[in-house]
Amino acid sequence: MNPDSTPATTLSATTLSAGTLSASATATTLSTSDLTLAYGDRHVVRDVSVAVPPGRITVIVGANGSGKSTLLRGLARLMAPRRGSVLLDGRDMARLGARTLAQRLGLLPQQPLAPDGITVSDLVGRGRHPHQRWFRQHTEADSAAIAAAMEATGITDLAERPVDELSGGQRQRAWLALALAQEPDVMLLDEPTTYLDLAHQVDLLELLTHLNATLGRTTVLVLHDLNLASRYAHHLVAVKDGRIAAEGPPADVLTPDTIESVFSLSCAVINDPLTGTPIALPRPQPR
Amino acid sequence: MTATRRDTFHVRIARHGLVFRFSRRSTVLTSVLWLCAGGVLALSLGLGEFDLRLADTLRVLGGGGTLIEYDVVVRDRLPRAVTALGVGAAFGVSGAILQRIAANPLVSPDVIGVNAGASFGALFVITVLGGAGASLVLGALAGALLTGAAIVLIALNHGLSGYRLVLVGIGIAAMLSSGTSYLLIQADYRQVLNAASWLTGSLANRGTLHVAVIAGTLAVVVPVLLVLGRHLRVLELGDDLSRALSGGTRRIRLSLITTAVVLAAMATAAAGPIGFVALVAPQITRRLLPGRPVPLGTAAATGALLVIGSDLAARLLFAPTELPVGAVTGVIGAPVLLYLLARANRIGHTG
Ligand SMILES: Nc1ncnc2c1ncn2[C@@H]1O[C@H](COP(=O)(O)OP(=O)(O)O)[C@@H](O)[C@H]1O
Ligand SMILES: [Mg+2]
Repeated sequence: MNPDSTPATTLSATTLSAGTLSASATATTLSTSDLTLAYGDRHVVRDVSVAVPPGRITVIVGANGSGKSTLLRGLARLMAPRRGSVLLDGRDMARLGARTLAQRLGLLPQQPLAPDGITVSDLVGRGRHPHQRWFRQHTEADSAAIAAAMEATGITDLAERPVDELSGGQRQRAWLALALAQEPDVMLLDEPTTYLDLAHQVDLLELLTHLNATLGRTTVLVLHDLNLASRYAHHLVAVKDGRIAAEGPPADVLTPDTIESVFSLSCAVINDPLTGTPIALPRPQPR
Repeated sequence: MTATRRDTFHVRIARHGLVFRFSRRSTVLTSVLWLCAGGVLALSLGLGEFDLRLADTLRVLGGGGTLIEYDVVVRDRLPRAVTALGVGAAFGVSGAILQRIAANPLVSPDVIGVNAGASFGALFVITVLGGAGASLVLGALAGALLTGAAIVLIALNHGLSGYRLVLVGIGIAAMLSSGTSYLLIQADYRQVLNAASWLTGSLANRGTLHVAVIAGTLAVVVPVLLVLGRHLRVLELGDDLSRALSGGTRRIRLSLITTAVVLAAMATAAAGPIGFVALVAPQITRRLLPGRPVPLGTAAATGALLVIGSDLAARLLFAPTELPVGAVTGVIGAPVLLYLLARANRIGHTG
C-alpha cells in the first residue's frame, strides 16, 4: 500500500491498529488563566483564559501573526507566562517536573526539521525520548508504541525510507507518528496541514478525528482553512491580536460577524450540505 | 538506503535492568577506526630518526631494551602519540556535538572562536609573561574557557540558535585574532618563532603534563556524555520540538554545549589550536555512515586517527625537519572529505 497516493484507503487500515496505541485513561484537561505571553516587550498573547475540552478536538483559527503559534508554545511551556498560568489537570504547569510534562504533553511545531538523511523509523522512535533513560534506552513498550504509531498513520511500509525523500503528505504523517509514539495525554499540532493538497489535508484531519475517537486523546490544532476547521473541530477558538475573539462549537463561532471582526473579511455563512457544519463563503469584492 | 531497525541492537544487562542502544554499522566502523588508530600508534612509536622494528618497540614497551631505546619510545614518542589520540578524539567529539545541536556543519570550536581564545591566551603567556610549559597550557586553557563562556552567555540570551552561535563566535574570533596579531607585532623574534609553532598546533615535546591534561579531561567527559549523549537525538530536531520532548528545558542543550567547549579548550591547551579536526572529523564520519546522525564515539575515533596519522606524516615527510601537526591535518583531512563528498554525490546521497 502506498499511503501517499491512496488517502481514502488508509483509514480502513488504521481502524485495526489504533487500539494498540494506549488510550489515555482519563482525558486530560488543559486550560489557561489570564495567560499573557511576550517576546521581549512585545505582548503577543494577552489575558487569555481558555479551557480545552478534554478528550476532544480543539481548533485555533486566526489571522497570520495573531498569536496562534505563540499560544500553542505557551501551552507547551516553551514560553514562560509573563502573567497568569497554564494549568494541566488543574495544577500549575510551571511546577510540573520536566519528564512528567514531556510524557503528558506533545507539541508538533509548524515547520519541524528532520536531521539530514535519517529514516522514518528513526524519526518516529525519537518520540519515545521522554520514556527512556540513559540506562534504559529501549523497552518493549517503545517498540510497541513506535509500531502502533507508524501503523496508525499508515507509514509502516516507509519505515526504512529517508525522511527527506518523502512527499509532503508522507512526511507530515511521519511527524504525526512521532507525536503519537510519544503517547502524550494532550497533543498540540501547529498547522499540520500546511503544504498539503486538499485530499491530503482531509486525509490527515480524518486520521486525527479517528485517532481522537479511538484514543480519546485531547487534541489542539492550529488550522488555516476555516471550513476544514469548522468541519473537524469539536471546539473552535478564534484568536485576534492575541486575545480570544470567540470560542465554542463551530456553529456558534463561525458567524459573519465574528469572521468580519477576526479576519476583516466579509462572508456569507451557509450550512455544509454534507455535514451540517457552517461554511464561510467570502463575498466577491466590487471593483 | 539504510535499514535502521535491522541495524539497531540492544545490549541488556538483565540483572540491573539496563538496556543500551547501539547501531551495528557504527559499532563496526568505530572499532575499525580505533584499530587503525592503534596501528598508527604502534608505527609512531617505532618510526622516526631512530627506527625500531615493531617487535623491538613492543619489547621496549614491555620494559626491555636499552636506555636510549627507552628514552626515545617511552619518554618521547609515547606521550606524544597518546596526546595525539586524546586530542584528536576530543576535537572530534566537540565538533560532532556542536554540529548536531546547531544542525549546521560549519559550527565547530575553531569557527566559534574557542581556538582563537586559546591562541590569544597562550600568546599572552609567551610574549608578555615570557612563560612556557605549564604556564603556556594554563594560558591557553584560560583563554579558551573564557571565550567559550562569553560565547555561550551572549548566545544564551537569545535562545542558543545555531546561527547566533556561529555569528557571535566569528565576531569574537575576529576580535581575538586582532589581539593575537598585536601581541605578535610587539614580540621579539625568538618569541615569534616559538609562538608560530604553537599557533599552528604542535605535538612536539609533549610530556606527562599534556597526557594528564587530555586524559583527565576525557576521564571526566566520557561518563558525562554516556548520560547526556542520547539527548542529541532530540536536540537536533530543533529548539521547539526538542524542548517539547524534554519538558520545556534548555538545560541539557546548555550542558552539552559547555561540554563541547571544555573538550576543545582542553585539547587546545594540550596541543595548540590544531585546525580543521573538529570541523572535518564529524563530516568525514557522516559520509562513512550515511543516513544517520554522527555518533560521538565514531567522531572520536575519526578525530584520533586523523591527528595521529597527520602527526606521523608531519614527522616523517620532511625528515629530519618536523612540521607542526596542524600544518598537516588540513592537507590530509580536506582531500579525504572532498573524496567522500564526490563519492556521495555519485551514489546519489546529498552531501
Ligand atoms: N521568536 C519571536 N520573537 C519575536 N517576535 C515573535 C517571535 N515569534 C513570533 N513573534 C511575533 O509574535 C506575533 C505572533 O506570532 P505567531 O504566534 O507566530 O502568530 P501566528 O501563528 O498566529 O501566525 C507576530 O507578530 C510575530 O511577529
Ligand atoms: Mg503560526
